[in-house]
Amino acid sequence: MEKLLELKNVHVSFNTYGGEVKAVRGVNLQLDKGESLAIVGESGSGKSVTSKAVMRLLPAKTSKIKEGQILFEGKDLVKASNREMEKIRGAEISMIFQDPMTSLNPTMTVGKQIMEGLRKHQNMSKGEAKERAINLLKLVGIPNPEVRVQEYPHQFSGGMRQRVVIAIALACNPKLLIADEPTTALDVTIQAQILDLMRDLQEKTGTAIILITHDLGVVANLAQRVAVMYGGTIVETGTVDEIFYKPKHPYTWGLLASMPKLHAESKELLAIPGTPPDLLNPPKGCPFAARCPYAMEVCVEHMPEAYDVSTSHKAACWLLDERAPKVEPPEEALVGGAR
Amino acid sequence: MSVKDREVLLEVKGLKKYFEVGKKQVLKAVDNVSFEIYKGETLGLVGESGCGKSTTGRTIIRLYGATEGEVNYEGENVHGKKSRKDLKKFNRKMQMIFQDPYASLNPRMTVKDIIAEGIDIHGLAKNDKERDARVYELLETVGLNKDHANRYPHEFSGGQRQRIGIARALAVDPDFIIADEPISALDVSIQAQVVNLMMKLQKERGLTYLFIAHDLSMVKHISDRVGVMYLGSMVELTGSDMLYEEPLHPYTQALLSAIPVPDPEVERSRERIILEGDVPSPINPPSGCRFRTRCPHAMDVCAAVEPKWLEAREGHWVACHLYDEEAMKQN
Repeated sequence: MEKLLELKNVHVSFNTYGGEVKAVRGVNLQLDKGESLAIVGESGSGKSVTSKAVMRLLPAKTSKIKEGQILFEGKDLVKASNREMEKIRGAEISMIFQDPMTSLNPTMTVGKQIMEGLRKHQNMSKGEAKERAINLLKLVGIPNPEVRVQEYPHQFSGGMRQRVVIAIALACNPKLLIADEPTTALDVTIQAQILDLMRDLQEKTGTAIILITHDLGVVANLAQRVAVMYGGTIVETGTVDEIFYKPKHPYTWGLLASMPKLHAESKELLAIPGTPPDLLNPPKGCPFAARCPYAMEVCVEHMPEAYDVSTSHKAACWLLDERAPKVEPPEEALVGGAR
Repeated sequence: MSVKDREVLLEVKGLKKYFEVGKKQVLKAVDNVSFEIYKGETLGLVGESGCGKSTTGRTIIRLYGATEGEVNYEGENVHGKKSRKDLKKFNRKMQMIFQDPYASLNPRMTVKDIIAEGIDIHGLAKNDKERDARVYELLETVGLNKDHANRYPHEFSGGQRQRIGIARALAVDPDFIIADEPISALDVSIQAQVVNLMMKLQKERGLTYLFIAHDLSMVKHISDRVGVMYLGSMVELTGSDMLYEEPLHPYTQALLSAIPVPDPEVERSRERIILEGDVPSPINPPSGCRFRTRCPHAMDVCAAVEPKWLEAREGHWVACHLYDEEAMKQN
């Protein structure tokens, strides 16, 4: 497989009145062409900041990529100029945002918004761009596209708006699509439509997807690989089967155990006690140590390295060290076949 | 305990709530909904946004006046003419927990005053010392501690704020709590904490809950029975295990099949019922059955006749012509 994107030891900080918030602290990630990777984590875990760093959409005044490389087809985006980034955004990498209500311009017809990128990046004439816009609307399943292309966002329902956002993102055939909570604002039956559409489009276009979400159901549905983030670091990565059936990190166990199972008898949920760490003063050791039932002395003092579980599976946890006691995941964390 | 021996705490009969939305248009947010809530149970109410589940909850507790219909609490109509004193009595028995823990706590009040507001109104504490003692006890009940009492809401995380909201609801010793999407704004690991707390409190205090949510797996977990709403009407109501094992209404079937399950193998092999289109506008809902425009089984009779609310199996209510022999004959 050919490498499309690689993040090497990326650190992002925000300057606030309270001090420096270290939102992303040494993230390493890799994405192949045409692959779909899900980044899961709670709010404040750094998943959105990581994706915005790739797009270089972080506010320049208050934030900084302090360290690391973001290699997109071998080119370091951290060092790219604004003009270079403008050529990449929308053409090579595009983004779908969570809220389709606020990510569309209410004063422009949806056709114009789809055409914007085509006119800029592909130098299409107005007529060509409009034709392509109609085709894109058809592709994302909007009925009657010849008429709808002239309409404004407020004339569309929530699900239809998200389809428009997807059409805009796919307009220039990007190599990478970053979807930041693409279905969180939608109802379940509409979410099912959009997930179906995204999977279908990925098969047709071969676009690589980074999916950012907190919903493990959506992850199981769409992703091939998963990265679990906590406290600004990636605590575990692996194929979707490895993360769900053979999770190694206690935080991943906690996430899986705190979700009610639709197809199993209801017992008490295994909640993770406490709250996520304050990234203004991030803990010295493992970010999860304070909430981890298996925490050892070393966890508080030293940040664990990512241990290789298999060639595709890594977990940053001291329990995987050969000197650590052997711990089995709680029964509540077992999913499906592993149960 | 079988359903029949259970004591009815709250009875909702033909409840309607219409909103006027200008130009003499009427939005039928809740249209003819009837159900009962038994003492000590949790009734879940699910549906997509705009289906009227929150409006139902808010009308029950009188945040909205009902357009038509009755809400009987222990046999007494909540919506009839009431004196201030009578109203106060109801307010003490029924409390509400809101969705957004950021918007539902007054930012200019301390946690102590927020929790004690009900205690003050109902005169439940004789003096300041007793008032403080009650607040501290409540804070401990919900897993906070008394050091938190003099702080302001902005100093707390979402999960902690929701705990404050729960403490406020408990302050007047209610029997019945309406929880309107109490966990939707929280992170997964915090959701489990709050749900566990609510279930523990129910066991300890014999509370009755109306739990409104759109997350079906959490609703199944916490509820004894679940009602499914679509576009202002109730389409199915039954025991939560029954609903998930054998959903009768085509909408419930689609809703259940639409939830992504956190199990990759299941997700890969699962056949989904994907509904076409969107929910129609409640200002001008379809004639007959409101779901017919998206229903894979729609028949001629569905457009002509509104389906009856009938007990298709024991304790399993559904509003669909497929389970109504008379309607099937007409078709």
